[in-house]
Amino acid sequence: MTDRLERLLNLVIALRETRRPMTAADIRERVAGYDQPDADAFRRMFERDKADLRALGVPVETAPLDRYDDRAGYRIDPRAYDLPEVHLAGDELAALAVALQATGLADEAGYGLLKLEVDAGDPGGARAADPRLGVALDAPHRATLMEAQLTRTTVRFSYSRPGEPAATRTVDPWALVHRRGRWYLVGRDHDRDDRRAFRLDRIDSDVRAVGGPGAFRPPPGDIGVDDVVPPPPAAGPATATVVAAEAVAWQVARRARGGGSDAGDGWTEFTVTVVDPDDFLGWALEYGPELRVVDPPELRDAVVARLEALLA
Amino acid sequence: MTRPARTLQRLERILTMVPWLLDNPGVSVDEVTERFGVSRDELAGDLDVLGYCGLPGYGGGDLVEASLVGDRVTVRLAEFFARPLRLSIREALTLLLAALALAGVEGVTESAALRRALATLEAALGAGTANVAVDLSAPGDELLAPLRTAVTSGTVVALTYRSGSKAETTRRDVEPWAVVGHRGAWYLQGWCRQAAAPRDFRLDRIRELHPTTERVGPSRRGTPEPPVYRPEPDDVVVVLDLDPEVAWAAEEAVVDEVADVDGRRRVRLRTASLEWVARLVLRLAGHATVVEPEALRNRVADLAAATLAGYRSDRPNGRHDDSRPARGA
Repeated sequence: MTDRLERLLNLVIALRETRRPMTAADIRERVAGYDQPDADAFRRMFERDKADLRALGVPVETAPLDRYDDRAGYRIDPRAYDLPEVHLAGDELAALAVALQATGLADEAGYGLLKLEVDAGDPGGARAADPRLGVALDAPHRATLMEAQLTRTTVRFSYSRPGEPAATRTVDPWALVHRRGRWYLVGRDHDRDDRRAFRLDRIDSDVRAVGGPGAFRPPPGDIGVDDVVPPPPAAGPATATVVAAEAVAWQVARRARGGGSDAGDGWTEFTVTVVDPDDFLGWALEYGPELRVVDPPELRDAVVARLEALLA
Repeated sequence: MTRPARTLQRLERILTMVPWLLDNPGVSVDEVTERFGVSRDELAGDLDVLGYCGLPGYGGGDLVEASLVGDRVTVRLAEFFARPLRLSIREALTLLLAALALAGVEGVTESAALRRALATLEAALGAGTANVAVDLSAPGDELLAPLRTAVTSGTVVALTYRSGSKAETTRRDVEPWAVVGHRGAWYLQGWCRQAAAPRDFRLDRIRELHPTTERVGPSRRGTPEPPVYRPEPDDVVVVLDLDPEVAWAAEEAVVDEVADVDGRRRVRLRTASLEWVARLVLRLAGHATVVEPEALRNRVADLAAATLAGYRSDRPNGRHDDSRPARGA
């Protein structure tokens, strides 16, 4: 619809260039395309255009007309409209193009990369060949929650953990974390009045905003990828000695970060770090007869006890 | 998230394109269409609309001058559009997320440039308040760099690979298509010559990697599917009961059905090979029970007995003498 495109462009130009904020009446009278005979039709048209422009990121502001007249008018502050001078280097733009393609986020980034390329004077210059590298970062609710986190908007959703009925949660979104292929939301759970981590794939409803932006202050300090898993037992990391058969010794060597000494018959002895004993036992058991825990005795005995339980 | 309507997309395109056209008067149509990914007709349409836009009053000096004469494009008198519209929240966040994700991956050659870009963008856009952390590291990611080189140069790689589904080590010659991260693991995808079929190889199971100089013919360059299990008609049905504390195991596999039976999770899944399920049950020792099939129950019992025998052996290195081939799998 060419008429609407023309009208939107003229509105942006008028609001950007006006010396004092324009009232709705000014816009109806002076901006090409808004001279509707019917006041309601004009109002609907203007409201829709304003909302669409804001959704695109055009900073349409409301402001008092001037010092003596506190009626509200509209304007676009050029400093808020203009992309700041960023001037990324060619290899940085090319790397961003690869990153967008590899993460499957190119569509969602819209004109973001092209704007940065125009800023660098080389639009289209970074359009990369297929990087043949892929990692899925998109997930339901991720974009919505990222925006809520950035604008500090409280959200509400239905959440279900395995074996529990779904329950409605109201959360101040503090951070989003992607770890081991999963997205988590970290924030303050209103009903529990405490910090909680939520897996995005367990949200089984829409995510709705509760109230407006700027509703809370997140705690100081960054929230990182380790904040979504339970902390390791207080005892802290320990080590264990294991022996591994030839077929799997190389895999164990990666966990042990190299090393290993000959244990005879083609077996190799390694020292590995144990952060969580339960994790360690699971890891050791999965190798079956090709790996044996030698030390400490309590971990060795725990493996034996589990195997005996399995055979009982 | 809905895509903006066509009119709004055109508006965004014009607001992005005009700053560059103002800086490059008389540029050729071909260059514009190539740089901005528009057709000649779309460009002509955009320029036509621009010619009707300008400052209220819309008189002689108020309107934008936009012309397409012969093969040349010129836009003038549009100084209000000298700069591109700033990034929307969504554009900025998406760029930051993509950059952040790959900047932290060891072996991605672009990561240094991405870290520089991130620092510049966060300072310029004031987007430091986006608290997002991404960790794509996974065992075997030190192989990402050599594998991507092989993929982009289209050369065959030779692997020594320990299969998770069969617990055996084999040599594979692979025509590489792509490297992908999926559910917290990295995979090489390509055509396996030994299997004569497309295959996914988990990087942490690659024991040795030997790049070759043999070029892959263009004919078999395929587009890989996501590395997920796709059931075949003659796959085996497995039913397991899991204690609540190991219910997560059901989420690691592609499961057909889940039900709660007497306070435990009963999961039903299909698999091409019993070996990985047997290893999973071993790992969950005591918290998982095999309901069916019989062959899986036997395989778990064999593995457990053989492992236990190793612990009970008097030999200093714990090696067991049970070296007969595994049955059941």
